[in-house]
Amino acid sequence: MLTIAVFFGGQSAEHDVSIITALTSVIMPLELTNKYRVIPVYIAKDGRWFVSEDLKNIAVYQHGELKRLVSRMKTTGVICANGLKLLVPSRVGRKAISVDIAFPAMHGTHGEDGELTGIFEMAGVPYVGCGVAASAIAMDKMLAKQVVTAAGLATPRALYFDGESVRSNSAVLAKQCQQLTYPLFVKPAHLGSSIGISRVADKKELVNALEVAAHYDDKIVVEEAVPNLIEVTLPIMGPSSAPQPALLEQPLTHAEDFFDFDTKYMHGGKKGKGGGKKMGIKGAQGYSKIPANLSKELYSKAEAAGVAAYKALGCDGIARIDMLIDSKAKKVYFNEANPLPGSLYAHNWAQVGVSKIDLVEALVGYALDRHYKRSKLATTFDTNFLTQF
Amino acid sequence: MQSIVSNIATHYTRSGKGRVIVLLHGWGDGSQSWQSFANKLASDYDVIVPDLPGFGGTEAPKEAWNVMRYAEFVRDLIHKIGVQPYAIIGHSNGGAIAVKGVGQGMFQAEKLILLASAGVRNPRANPGLQVIAKVGKVVAAPLPSKVRNKLRRKLYQKAGSDLLVAEHMQDTFKKIVRDDVRADAAYISTPTLLVYGDADTETPIEIAHELHSAIEGSRLLILPGVGHHVHSEAEDVALKTVREFLHA
Repeated sequence: MLTIAVFFGGQSAEHDVSIITALTSVIMPLELTNKYRVIPVYIAKDGRWFVSEDLKNIAVYQHGELKRLVSRMKTTGVICANGLKLLVPSRVGRKAISVDIAFPAMHGTHGEDGELTGIFEMAGVPYVGCGVAASAIAMDKMLAKQVVTAAGLATPRALYFDGESVRSNSAVLAKQCQQLTYPLFVKPAHLGSSIGISRVADKKELVNALEVAAHYDDKIVVEEAVPNLIEVTLPIMGPSSAPQPALLEQPLTHAEDFFDFDTKYMHGGKKGKGGGKKMGIKGAQGYSKIPANLSKELYSKAEAAGVAAYKALGCDGIARIDMLIDSKAKKVYFNEANPLPGSLYAHNWAQVGVSKIDLVEALVGYALDRHYKRSKLATTFDTNFLTQF
Repeated sequence: MQSIVSNIATHYTRSGKGRVIVLLHGWGDGSQSWQSFANKLASDYDVIVPDLPGFGGTEAPKEAWNVMRYAEFVRDLIHKIGVQPYAIIGHSNGGAIAVKGVGQGMFQAEKLILLASAGVRNPRANPGLQVIAKVGKVVAAPLPSKVRNKLRRKLYQKAGSDLLVAEHMQDTFKKIVRDDVRADAAYISTPTLLVYGDADTETPIEIAHELHSAIEGSRLLILPGVGHHVHSEAEDVALKTVREFLHA
């Protein structure tokens, strides 16, 4: 039986979302296959790692129980040599658990951005999802825009600033943004779940929005809003060479609105409070229309743009590409990429006949394939170079 | 709306036009608890409703705060938005914050309205039950977490404590309930209206009388059969009373 370690939690603003992803969309379906031994690796907000069967239970994360549990537990260590080994506290010292496959279910900083993946790469363990470079690029909204622009895809015009400049003189930077056309979106470059994002109509609002974004991040992106907006998102899985898209999904928000953290995670959709049937499908992030209500031509265009962005960014395993469509100009813009979409966007995959179990099994399969291919590459080069000194 | 206040990402709503009214919610609530009341006031006033730190869409304080620190936050928020409030309306713990802020001169208003305001150590709090809650914690320790949590909740509720209402804010809660704002209330010269329900068990009418006697010239209205959430349980009466006081 293969041992799969599922990593979740983390030092991220999306810590809680990660717990939901891990428990509902990764651990549970993996266990239902009866093929794997699943080890939950919970990374606390302070960075400590914990392993315990109790951490598979959602009740542990509610009503302050987690605080009590981790206060009684010793932390787990890690060895990155000839594979990944977890050093889990036992009655006598620590026992090493060899991990056959790593399954990160992390969102945001220190998890979805390639940092955790780097440990798996160094250990030489197969892992699910995008590699270090793709994760790091995708999690920098500006860098991702620059990469997809180089691949010939359209993105809204944008500027970016470092957090320090924003904190010291946001008014001057707001003046620089006069070269862009209002309304504008102000975003922390590295955060997901729409945290710290503002839509601004004038310079006064921009100054405040810059300050809010700089509260969360050291790189701030200011970009033009797309008029006649239809937002769509496309979950994709598979290797970069052969991406398999699910269905284009359309968040059900006002055209002038945007898909924010509150809408996604706290209330299940602004329009969604009334009831599911009328409002479309309730997924990980509120109510959506699946597939998106687009003409055949526009649907194909957006799907092609999503797949092209996935390839351009070098995504591998799974990712979600968000796009903005000017419905009048019929123009599709790349917005951002998520290397590990919340709850793996299982609700969308279900619409194309991929169950949660199918999804995790496919992702594990991609991880093993990639590892096998890479294991055939030369990673050392023996020379007599040192003996010449 | 979001803004950075006292280095805390702060969410607040703002609606309507006219003189500025700031609404402060109680412990465990958020700006949403004022939604209906605020919407109605917004027909005549510019109504600002923050989520106080640790609640709704506003970050929690990085360390435990007391009532004074919350009042300083309200001062900083008012300054940041750049308004001069005509009135401040506080419910429950929001009332205690308003009393502290106005009493200490941290922020000014022409009218102060306290709805089921807290800030006086609960005269009905039963120390015996508080001891039971503490003992219960020890006794329940070996029980399964689900059962233990249910039991703890019931015990704390019985002991008259909101400690478990916002578990991530327990340390702040412990500081808040130790604060008594009667001394601050004595410095208030702002025209003040107090509205309480006689069926309120969280801030019983003994508190109303304590604050009423501490704030010189204040007016006290006690609504029969109304509980702690005066502004939602008796919205029409509360709104009418508040409007009349604001117009006076």
